[in-house]
Amino acid sequence: MYSLNKRIGGNRALPPKPILAAKRRRQLHPFFFSMGPVALCISSVLLIGLMAILYLTQLGQAVTANQRLQDYQAQQAKLRRQNQDLVYVISQEQSPGYIASAAKSLGLVPTDPKTLHVLMVKNLELIREIEPQIKP
Amino acid sequence: MSVELRRARNRQMLIFLLVCVGMVVLMGRLYYWQIVRGDSLAQAAANEHIQNQILNAPRGVIYDANGHILATNVVRDDVYIEPIQFSADHGPDIFQSALEKLVSTLHRILPSVSEETLYKDFNLELQTVRIASRIDPAQSEQLRSLQLPDIFLEPRTWRIYPAGSLAAQVLGYVQQDDQKSVGVYGIERQYDQLLAGRPGSFTAEFDLSGNPLVVGASAEQPAIAGADLTLTLDSTLQYLAQTALADAVKQLDAVSGTAVVVNVRTGAIVVMAGAPTFDPNNYGKSATLTGCLGQESVFFNPAIYCAYEPGSTMKAVTMAAALDQGLITPDTTFNDPGYRAFNDAPVVVNWNGLGYGIESMTQVLEHSANVGAAYVAHDILGPDRYYPYLAKFGFGQATGINSQEETGFYRTPANSPTVWTPSDLTRQAFGQSIEATPLQMAMAYAAIANGGVMMRPYVVAVCNNNGHMVTTQPEVLRRVISERAAMLLTGMLRHSATDGFAQPAQVPGYTIAAKTGTATTQGLSSDQTEASVAGFIPATNPMFVILVKIDRPQKTIYGGTAAAPLWKYIGQQLMWYYHVPPDAV
Repeated sequence: MYSLNKRIGGNRALPPKPILAAKRRRQLHPFFFSMGPVALCISSVLLIGLMAILYLTQLGQAVTANQRLQDYQAQQAKLRRQNQDLVYVISQEQSPGYIASAAKSLGLVPTDPKTLHVLMVKNLELIREIEPQIKP
Repeated sequence: MSVELRRARNRQMLIFLLVCVGMVVLMGRLYYWQIVRGDSLAQAAANEHIQNQILNAPRGVIYDANGHILATNVVRDDVYIEPIQFSADHGPDIFQSALEKLVSTLHRILPSVSEETLYKDFNLELQTVRIASRIDPAQSEQLRSLQLPDIFLEPRTWRIYPAGSLAAQVLGYVQQDDQKSVGVYGIERQYDQLLAGRPGSFTAEFDLSGNPLVVGASAEQPAIAGADLTLTLDSTLQYLAQTALADAVKQLDAVSGTAVVVNVRTGAIVVMAGAPTFDPNNYGKSATLTGCLGQESVFFNPAIYCAYEPGSTMKAVTMAAALDQGLITPDTTFNDPGYRAFNDAPVVVNWNGLGYGIESMTQVLEHSANVGAAYVAHDILGPDRYYPYLAKFGFGQATGINSQEETGFYRTPANSPTVWTPSDLTRQAFGQSIEATPLQMAMAYAAIANGGVMMRPYVVAVCNNNGHMVTTQPEVLRRVISERAAMLLTGMLRHSATDGFAQPAQVPGYTIAAKTGTATTQGLSSDQTEASVAGFIPATNPMFVILVKIDRPQKTIYGGTAAAPLWKYIGQQLMWYYHVPPDAV
């Protein structure tokens, strides 16, 4: 049978094949138990896939949370803006000028100081405090 | 070695060399992109994703004494278009029709923006163009719901004054542009740093829509909101006084006017009104208006910026100085022939040229006799005993209510040794040759009303800086005159109100102590006056000092006829508003 040794014509003694060493090398112990290369490849791929799924799931959740957070922030900004507008409207309608014009439109007229009559009651004493025993 | 093997080796060598060359080229490119251009490209990439947003601090709210809002903030949108993007999005065949449709829609929602302007803006070679600013919330909603292409809204915070022109000259306004907001005039300017707060920043990665990726790495320095201020002003009284003042100025065909109400016990300013005034929401419209006899912009508060010759209201101060030193009593008499010649000063005559014969000091105030006041200042007091009192009453000095207020001026032998003459003294006694602001004059009367003790005037009652509250406590500045002198002078001023020219200021049911003033200006005809009334109510237990000044009234020119009716109105409203029991029994 044709072999490389014959072809190059060497009669040198070949070293013994390291069958046991190779076998030992192929018997890997990544998880504290022996595993062949094919099994290792498959489990590595599965592991990486699992990690990728976990990562993508988390990423998806993060993106969703991010979107939800943005929505909340937008809603908060909108509500804050509405609140500011309402505060403005309330303060505008509480202003004396607005009340005066509203009263005027309803036909009310301001008190004319010239029509004021102050009645002077002589010797009138202020009632400071009603005595407890005569309180109803 | 066979030829076949050599060829195979040569091919291997060639491939190896080609691979080496390729590797070298790749390494070179890698070096170029990673080392030579690395930093700039990394920066460009970071700029693409990482943005730094400035977080604007909300400006502090200003309240009146009752918690009603005088100045606040609202968010309004600016409308932007993207002309270049619009051209890119629409091919030449549909560009015109799409533009016409968009312009028509925009003009329907924003009628203030003309179609011509919109066409012009869309043809500009710019990324963005602002076509409208501060649009109404309804317009914003319409634009948002339509989702028009290449149009976007940019929210901006605006300062707004819900009560319009109410206390505008006290508040001032805020000048806003794209970069910053600055308080101009009044409280907005004086407390600008406090009101403005401190902007923050937010650095984060942003998505294509410009939304921050808050889950990723981000850094935020929150904005610190501006401080809220509560003023001592009462909106209702301010409105009543301000509208009545504006009416009086109009009715009397006057140039301008001022009204000030001070709480006697605390020095708190209750009302500070000027006419003409302005609307801080549309301050640009009033840019050409002037107040303070046309000397100052209408944006200045005339009560603290508009110094004037106070006229006869000053006679109370002259009497106060003499009473406090025990040099006169209300019953001290002298002969008033209607004029008085001084050996070192020109003759002083009474305003109406009349002589009153033997008259008491009380009658000097009743008659508003210039001769009597000049006699007291020149013959009884003299400069050494008169000027210290002007200083104690606060004339020629800032009241401290505003860092840039007018201080007024009067000549004394000390500050004007070369130009001062005894004529200054005799004239200052009845309010000429001295300039004072309406607030200074009001505070002088407040000191008399407060038993001779002058309080520091203030307009900001509370400053709430994000929960850190600072409340202004009433502060005694100094004793100006003795309690007895104040009491005697109050009695004299009550006579001035019951029997003198301040009679029209009398409020039914209440005692008042008041003095009128009708100041003329040198170089102007004698009918160009500044009519004023200063006094306090109720006189038996003073609560409020009121000063009313009408500049150059034409219908009637005297303090008693032009300013006193308004003084009465404000006094009456004050008593009603605070439910003060009548004391004139």
